[in-house]
Amino acid sequence: MNDLEIVIGLEVHTQVKTESKIFCACSTKFESPPNTNICPVCCGYPGVLPVFNEKVLSLALKVSCALNCNINKDIYFERKSYFYPDLPKNYQISQYKMPLGEKGYLEISTGRKIIINRVHMEEDAGKLIHKDNYSLVDFNRTGTPLLEIVSDPDIHSPQEAYDYLNSMKLLLIYIGVSDCDMEKGSLRCDANVSLRKKGAAKLGIRVELKNMNTFNGVRAALEYEVKRQSKVINKGENVVQETRLWDFQKLKTVVMRTKSDAHDYRYFPEPDLLNFCVSDELIESVKKSVGELPLEKKRRFMKNYDILEKEINVLISYPWLSKFFEEIILFYPKAKDVCNWLIGPFLEQVNNLDNGFSAVKISAENFSKIVKFFSEGKLNNLGAKKVLALGLTTNEDIDSIIEREKLVQVSDHEELLKFVEEVISSNPKAVQEYLEGKQKSIMFLVGQVMKNTRGKANPKVAKDILERRIQI
Amino acid sequence: MIDIISLTGLDISEGISKGGFKANEIYSFYYNRIKKIGSDLNCFVDVYAEGLTCEGRSPLKGVPIAIKDNICIKGKRITCASKILSSHIAVYDATVVERLKKSGLVVVGTTNMDEFAFGSSTENSFYGPAKNPWDKSRVVGGSSGGSAAAVAARIVPFALGSDTGGSIRQPSSLCGVVGFKPTYGRVSRFGLIAFSSSLDQIGPITTNFTDCASLLNIICGYDENDSTSVSLEVPDFTKSLQDNIEGLRVGVPKEYFGEGLDPEVRDAINKVIEVLKNKKAEIVEISLPTTDYAVAAYYIIASSEASSNLQRFDGIKYGIRAKCNGLKELYAKTRKEGFGEETQRRVLLGTYSLSSGYYDAYYLKALKVRRLIKNDFDSAFKKVDVILTPTSPTTAFKIGEKSDPLSMYLSDIYTISTNLAGLPAVSFPCGFTKGNLPVGCQIIGKEFDESTLVRVGYSYQSATDFHKKIPKE
Amino acid sequence: MLDKQNVENVFNLARIEIEENKKEFFAAQLSKIINFIDKLKELDVKGVEPMRGLHIKKNIFRKDKVKDFIYKEDILRNAPLTQDGYFKIPKVID
Repeated sequence: MNDLEIVIGLEVHTQVKTESKIFCACSTKFESPPNTNICPVCCGYPGVLPVFNEKVLSLALKVSCALNCNINKDIYFERKSYFYPDLPKNYQISQYKMPLGEKGYLEISTGRKIIINRVHMEEDAGKLIHKDNYSLVDFNRTGTPLLEIVSDPDIHSPQEAYDYLNSMKLLLIYIGVSDCDMEKGSLRCDANVSLRKKGAAKLGIRVELKNMNTFNGVRAALEYEVKRQSKVINKGENVVQETRLWDFQKLKTVVMRTKSDAHDYRYFPEPDLLNFCVSDELIESVKKSVGELPLEKKRRFMKNYDILEKEINVLISYPWLSKFFEEIILFYPKAKDVCNWLIGPFLEQVNNLDNGFSAVKISAENFSKIVKFFSEGKLNNLGAKKVLALGLTTNEDIDSIIEREKLVQVSDHEELLKFVEEVISSNPKAVQEYLEGKQKSIMFLVGQVMKNTRGKANPKVAKDILERRIQI
Repeated sequence: MIDIISLTGLDISEGISKGGFKANEIYSFYYNRIKKIGSDLNCFVDVYAEGLTCEGRSPLKGVPIAIKDNICIKGKRITCASKILSSHIAVYDATVVERLKKSGLVVVGTTNMDEFAFGSSTENSFYGPAKNPWDKSRVVGGSSGGSAAAVAARIVPFALGSDTGGSIRQPSSLCGVVGFKPTYGRVSRFGLIAFSSSLDQIGPITTNFTDCASLLNIICGYDENDSTSVSLEVPDFTKSLQDNIEGLRVGVPKEYFGEGLDPEVRDAINKVIEVLKNKKAEIVEISLPTTDYAVAAYYIIASSEASSNLQRFDGIKYGIRAKCNGLKELYAKTRKEGFGEETQRRVLLGTYSLSSGYYDAYYLKALKVRRLIKNDFDSAFKKVDVILTPTSPTTAFKIGEKSDPLSMYLSDIYTISTNLAGLPAVSFPCGFTKGNLPVGCQIIGKEFDESTLVRVGYSYQSATDFHKKIPKE
Repeated sequence: MLDKQNVENVFNLARIEIEENKKEFFAAQLSKIINFIDKLKELDVKGVEPMRGLHIKKNIFRKDKVKDFIYKEDILRNAPLTQDGYFKIPKVID
């Protein structure tokens, strides 16, 4: 195995977030009842004609620019012909000779720049449901705009492929092109993998892998396939050029039962659509609108903020989260504290909301107050979490909440002493255990103080007082 | 009793609006003629007991019109004269049909044609050939043969056809009526069941240029549903109905007057030239050197695009479905049973031309030859305003006479180049042979210069009356 | 020129079933037509731009707005076979 080099190319299809389909005005809404987002155009009816959705071009251009591609300025669509029931015209309007973007790169987390061969636009096919002895066709999805992003065979390990996919997903989410949900089918991935002797110029025989439904699945399928191919090669045999499907239950790749005849797609330029000229002005304005990309943001955060890399990774994994972070910092500049509250309690609470971040109303200023009050001791952990929960979807003024709910942390020794003495007298067993050296018992007693003060005690001070009192 | 069948559509509409006759009387009149004469000539596929129209105003309001059976009419059976679509009900109106209805015209039915517009005789129809009203043993031409015959027989005042390689002009020539193909992009193709997407155009078939101009006014114009339709302003074509062609330069290409041209057709065309000369037009000899290659280039381009456009007919979404075991048979048997022989031949040729290894030699090469043909016209139009040619090398041939596909293809020689170049052209009746068969003359115009063609045609018809002759019933 | 095998391949690509006894027939006809079309080889097209159509304007777009097609039931009604709102077809085996 050691003298063999792994060569992987990845082909990613992502749906493009538009209201309407690429060549007709039907809705792209997901999960509608079957055949309800359809019209004669996307159903391939006789006499219909495609008309191109301008938003698809601008989003595709954004992606191409973000991937540092050369933009082809005079593009056109082509018909890719094959017969399949989910393709109503039995040809797909796609791009072949003149893709929108070519020869770009995607920088992954290791710093490697993986070469992007091409980015092109096309229409999605419909959905098939297979029953016992018949199949059903739903055309809701036909005509949904897709971007196909093809890498060069420039990836050299299954882990790198996994990295590439994660970096690609983050990029696409940042640009607002897609929500990249493999389960919903808005992101799909096929892989090509081959092995060759290290240093060899020619590529080995490659195998196409399909049916990988998660990023982990892609990595696992590639790992399996690499092992399988190296076994074949080490036996002195040739790898067969074929398409294999990932079986995620049996955890192996299997040959596709019927390899459709070597595809002759009979590409020719789509005569129903004219050329599209992408002007320099458009490219410039799109480049500007792309904004800061995830990797750039990460580097900037690492440079400017005193937080750990793994914490930054969480912050940047949601574009809205990192944006919110920087807004809060303006009010309370202690980056570490703000970050802890964001990636901890805030994220947890947001993920429990029905509509996630879009339901969040709390302002950056109010959020900064919570962090500040916690850091200064005005609120304890429980109290701060409670304030957050109450202000999260209402943006109610923080001071009002604290006053109304009486959440100010009690740190006053005299006040706490009362509670401490009560807890000590009601829990002789725990006290005894603590005196005998069981450290955990003190936390139990602190917990009791918290309980009796309804969460308002300053736990640190309470612990202090308890320890001193018990020693006496 | 006014002789309705010698009225123009414009006259009929005026008659209705002035109270001379009622709209439903007119409709019944034509409906009955269609039922009687139309069925004898087999030029209709479906006829509607109740005409389809909308509230609308135009100079043609209330006038019945027939539509070629490849143009969608919502709620009606539209078959392209093919078995595979024999059960297909259109779910939307073609843009041209919508415009006609909104102008108050009344759709009376669909006309017979060559299956999927593949043909020049209407013999390739699933519903059988249409017969020429001038001689029922002869073809009507194609592929808009049903429309041309219906207008010629005066069983409908006018009709729409479609033209890809001459399919409006050639049948109009063989039937003695006016058939107009606008510039590519002038008329929306949305709702026209596609044959060759870069060549197809819809156009009017009438007995006279006045109706022709009025119909053009209604159907021309940008359509947001058709990316290939142009947003140029549509002039009022009726303003070109003037008998004045003084100083007009008329090009006569020598390549169109060579071997294969029937002598009686040649004579009739020469007489047209005389008429135009008398009206002080200037006749200029020109050359279109790539003419010889036009048919070859056309058949590659047209068949290739057609083979692709016909892939959608698969028995899943609409039309017939054959009895089958499994998906592969679903496609293969449905398409075998549903497509006629000429259709299969075109699909075969087109699929072959586009297939791996042949694309450059055939399709791509044909597109380059197309450019050469357009260049020929561009050069010629620097010297002339219109180009005059025969429409067809012969008059109507006997049904069954041209059994060799290639000889059928070659009869398109005079009309094909204009589709390749995207130019407007019209055929109008210019004489009759000794056997009383109509002869058609074609004039070709500069791109988007339909107005000049209307003017020339109108002027010619002011000095002649071939267009007024009606076949015996 | 074109033989039975070519015809078989092309008919397969085009998904049209063809009887054995028709293959020669089509092969002969098509060969004649291709022979005629090969006339184009006489022309020198070096440096000639292919012409896809009489296109005078580019960049024809549609705004990203949803417009619901209200006659969806008509679409399903036209289908040879449907079930529960789906188009029904023989089992597809991948």
